[in-house]
Amino acid sequence: MAEVEETLKRIQSQKGVQGIIIVNAEGIPIKTTLDNSSTVQYAGLIHQSVMKARSTVRDIDPQNDLTFLRIRSKKNEIMIAPDKDYFLIVIQNPSD
Amino acid sequence: MSIPTAKLKKPTLKVTPSSRAMNISTSGILRLNRSATYARSINASVSRKSFCLAADSKILEKSSVQTPKHTIQVLDENGKDVTPRPVYQPDPAAVQSKHSKIFASDTSGGTMSDFYSTTYQTTTNASFAGAFTRSLFGSGSVSIGSQSIMESMSEEIEDPSSKRDNSISLSDVQVKREEVKELIQEEMLDDMVDLYLVESDTLCLLDMPAISVSVDSMEAESVKERNSRYTELCKNRTGNDKYMGRSMQTFNGASKTKEVQSEAITMADAATIANNWDMYDSFCSAGQGEVDLSTDTDKASIAEMIHQNHGPTRTMERTMSVISSSTIVSSSSSRMEMEPFVVPSESKPDPELILQSEEFQQHLFVMERIILENIYQPKLAAYRQLPTLEDPDSMPKAVPMVVSRREESSLDEEGPPTPALERLWSFSCELTTGRNVSSMAWNKRNPDLLAVGYGQFAFKDQKPGLVCCWSLKNPSWPERIFTCQSGVTALDFSASSASMLAVGMHDGTIATYNVQSREKTPVIDSSDCVHKHTSPVWQVRWINHERALSGEDKGEALISVSADGRISKWFLRKGLDCIDLMKLKRTRNDRFKRQVGEKERKSEALISRQAPGLCFDFHPTDSNIYLAGTEEGHIHKCSCSYNEQFLETYQAHKGPLYRITWSPFCSDVFLSCSSDWTIQLWRQDLFTPVLGFMSTQRAVYDVMWSPKWATVFGAVNEGRMEIWDLGASILDPTIVNPASPGVKLTSLLFATETDCVLVGDSDGQVSVYQLKNFTAGEGTQVGTLEDIIGSTLASQL
Repeated sequence: MAEVEETLKRIQSQKGVQGIIIVNAEGIPIKTTLDNSSTVQYAGLIHQSVMKARSTVRDIDPQNDLTFLRIRSKKNEIMIAPDKDYFLIVIQNPSD
Repeated sequence: MSIPTAKLKKPTLKVTPSSRAMNISTSGILRLNRSATYARSINASVSRKSFCLAADSKILEKSSVQTPKHTIQVLDENGKDVTPRPVYQPDPAAVQSKHSKIFASDTSGGTMSDFYSTTYQTTTNASFAGAFTRSLFGSGSVSIGSQSIMESMSEEIEDPSSKRDNSISLSDVQVKREEVKELIQEEMLDDMVDLYLVESDTLCLLDMPAISVSVDSMEAESVKERNSRYTELCKNRTGNDKYMGRSMQTFNGASKTKEVQSEAITMADAATIANNWDMYDSFCSAGQGEVDLSTDTDKASIAEMIHQNHGPTRTMERTMSVISSSTIVSSSSSRMEMEPFVVPSESKPDPELILQSEEFQQHLFVMERIILENIYQPKLAAYRQLPTLEDPDSMPKAVPMVVSRREESSLDEEGPPTPALERLWSFSCELTTGRNVSSMAWNKRNPDLLAVGYGQFAFKDQKPGLVCCWSLKNPSWPERIFTCQSGVTALDFSASSASMLAVGMHDGTIATYNVQSREKTPVIDSSDCVHKHTSPVWQVRWINHERALSGEDKGEALISVSADGRISKWFLRKGLDCIDLMKLKRTRNDRFKRQVGEKERKSEALISRQAPGLCFDFHPTDSNIYLAGTEEGHIHKCSCSYNEQFLETYQAHKGPLYRITWSPFCSDVFLSCSSDWTIQLWRQDLFTPVLGFMSTQRAVYDVMWSPKWATVFGAVNEGRMEIWDLGASILDPTIVNPASPGVKLTSLLFATETDCVLVGDSDGQVSVYQLKNFTAGEGTQVGTLEDIIGSTLASQL
């Protein structure tokens, strides 16, 4: 547990990381470093995106599954590690 | 058909079991027929009347007698026996061929009235048609159509056992019929069969007398008379006192409205989308649920991901999608909570569990690497000699002028661009700041893995040592951290088992770690060994002996040199768990008497007069020969076969030798560096160095040949890092990189596959530099080196 906390702290302190959100399987955030409204917004929207992406991957080959999702935008990059029970979302702006 | 419900306006009838049973439920229809029948016999009339009476008392329906063999008596309230008597007395003798006609015929299509008409036709059994029908049904030979009729007529069927006598006779008859049937065989088909047709008695079922009578008939007169009498009567009727009109009024039943209201049936729409993978999932999970292919709801845009194919979770997923959509629409305050959402289902784990789970850690690990990759991407690309791509979205920070100038200079054909070092990044974290980097080693199998040992050189200010395994993918935090009880002074990765790391420490302990595991403790430790080193271990190396001297020598062995003057071979027996540190103690006594000029060896006992050994290096091709450097400044060439004598001694240095290294390309050339500010280049057959290099008046801590070019080597002294290219100049280093002020550079390592150099300093940082615009020429330049040596020697002579 301590290692997890440490790693989270390290990630948070990396250059350009704007926030970390951990969302459970239903889209409810369970841990976040952003403010409330952003968290909820991100959680909801990203949840849908991930569902769609996963559905896409699995439709093509049902034995396949989504392991990582990166959305690169102009201003930042959203990285999502999906799992059966949770999503790990990190928003980073690497050119900061 | 609707049987009118019992209207008990007539005197109730008691039904006693003594009377004959009757199927009252059928009486409704029978009544119809009955009333139409023109009764001839008194019997029949009586029975009719009683029948009708009985029909009114429908209570008897249910209580229709289950008692077999009991005759039922229907008694009026006055006690009169109004038991209907059977209409028909069957003649058992008579062969009822017509039975078969009835029974065999498919009555399913026939309506009820038809059915009854047929029954009346035959008058086979009409005790009362009820019993008849019952027995009929009881016989079980009737087709299913009659079943339906029966069902509509009565709820209960009596047992076949409860037949009446006549039914029994019927069944007898039936049995006879059956028997007859059985006897018909194939061969009988050809027989001549005689059929006799006889006329039976005429049965009158319906007799409707005509209303009009012919004038010619015999009754005409009486009819006429009757008619006339009637008209006269009608005429006399008016005004006659004999007749009185009386009106009656029928009661209208008070109507009462009655309402029933039922609860509205709540409807819920359920829909799902069946995806390809959904079907696959359900197939794999042993096909529990079915796929509902229904129309999409208006939330069709949300693709539902269904983990398990059970009903409850499915609805949960749907509600989840509902929730998520509603979140966007209206951010209700209940959604704002950060507390974990407690769901009453065992498939949703606790958030605490999530945070502690293995997969989460793994994901965090990967995520961290990815983030760092984002940050360090240009640097890593440069390291791996990939073209660095400019981020198109990042704002251009540098002034465009500078860029163009640089471009100009690179396009300049006049002079070669000056070789330089570009600092890419540095491995450091908060754990390592303040520690002195004492040694570095690449992993033999994974060229991205670097082990760095931290430990002080000097005797004072000793603190617990540290070994960190860094990965190129994460320059900000080491992959493995091992804490050792004393400062680490030497490191080496094994070649045969690539995850074994040997560590030599300042207190003489040698330990091996398995970097694959997450354990913080060494696999083996030499602190229990009797013959362990008592002084700092300055170098460890895994050496692969190809030529085995004895059976035990084959394989990889760990050789160490320490300041107590011994080069020891640590032997790991091939047992699985039991690692036997059997050190083959080959003592190399480096005591040297200058006056005598002789070389004295020493035997087992440790005497303080052994010169401390500081470094050694095995010959790249012949693993028997090795060089050892001592604190006195001597280089001894030794062989593994002889543990008593040196083969050669090279003396030139005036201070302790910090590093000896054979050239990887020229097999008899080696370099040595010492604290007397010089680097010497030797050839193994000459007892004086071929070339000496001195650039500053600082002790040279480390020197290493470049793995790519034979003429290039790097050296690190206290104040700066130098890259020498002998093909370019033998007097000055080609590239010089000064250290940051206050920091001493202590170790150097070339990267094996790329043009990068790693420099460790006394502040715990390992900086990665890339050699830019540097090339020593085509090929490995072995020839150049030999030429240089040759020319130097020639010039010396």
